[in-house]
Amino acid sequence: MGTDQTIDSRVFVIVRAYNEATVIRDVVRQLCERFDRIVVIDDGSTDSTAVCLNGLKVILLRHCVNLGAGAALQTGLTYAVTHGADWILTFDADGQHRVEDALAILKLLQSGNCDVVFGSRFLGTTINIPKTRKVLLLVARWFSNRMFDTRLTDAHNGLRGFNRKAAALLDLTQNGMAYASEMLRQLKEGNMSIREIPVTIEYTDYSRRKGQSSLNAVNILIDLIMGRLMR
Amino acid sequence: MNFRYFLLILLSTFFLYVLWLPKQTLVRKAFVLCFVAGMLVFALNPDLSTEIANYFGIVRGVDFLFYLSHLTLFFIAFVYYLRFREMEIRFTKLARQVAIDQATNLGPRSPD
Repeated sequence: MGTDQTIDSRVFVIVRAYNEATVIRDVVRQLCERFDRIVVIDDGSTDSTAVCLNGLKVILLRHCVNLGAGAALQTGLTYAVTHGADWILTFDADGQHRVEDALAILKLLQSGNCDVVFGSRFLGTTINIPKTRKVLLLVARWFSNRMFDTRLTDAHNGLRGFNRKAAALLDLTQNGMAYASEMLRQLKEGNMSIREIPVTIEYTDYSRRKGQSSLNAVNILIDLIMGRLMR
Repeated sequence: MNFRYFLLILLSTFFLYVLWLPKQTLVRKAFVLCFVAGMLVFALNPDLSTEIANYFGIVRGVDFLFYLSHLTLFFIAFVYYLRFREMEIRFTKLARQVAIDQATNLGPRSPD
């Protein structure tokens, strides 16, 4: 680590954003106070997301069209790995995550005891989580654990940390939300050690509106099954 | 009977079209030709489909052809899904590379 206030430049924070003009400036400004290298992936936003970041110390990568959360994550990982990142954190742009949790993930990652750290809302706290979302996440958890023989409580949390080895291993081809399970499979196949720590996720009216619909779970399931058949 | 003639003309035209179609792999061309030739045979001799259907435990020839077309359509959809996925992956890689090449540093620090 560099100083107590900011983390050294080998730590990259990836923030994926799609039409987040309402909140992204505040989210990134909070991150800027503690992290040196913030990479924002503007996933083909049609609003002023990119303009909102003007003047902030961030590196902006723009997809020319909207590709999806998985594609944006892989773009961020590829950029970070090829630009000297040793530790990579992923942070949602909609204001659900807390910077303190990201720092805790980084600390655990830098201890060298694991390759990947997932934030878990089920080990920690969820504020104002909609019931349908909770049920959906629990079903996804059961499905992921069965499919990949894991014991994770929240593999679909956007707050994660990777060391360089784990990030370089990932090659996500699922552009949509099914990327989370694909990532888990690749990490398992690469024998990466995964740990979870409790985090707080706060659902605001904004994040609830922005979140994926419950029906989208069916699409994710189809993507996953087809993806597995295609291997 | 009129419809049968229409079907025969349609299938024969399609057969010839595929036969002379350039830039097709031999395997793909052979597959389509066999399929169309099969349809032609069934159009010329409808009772044959019933005989084959009976062999597979299906009563009516038309049912057999119905199942066969479903399987064929499923196969075609699957092949196109594979192509779509391949194109999606290529397109994503392209968009990713463009995004990385055009990374912009909004603050005072250089991205490298």
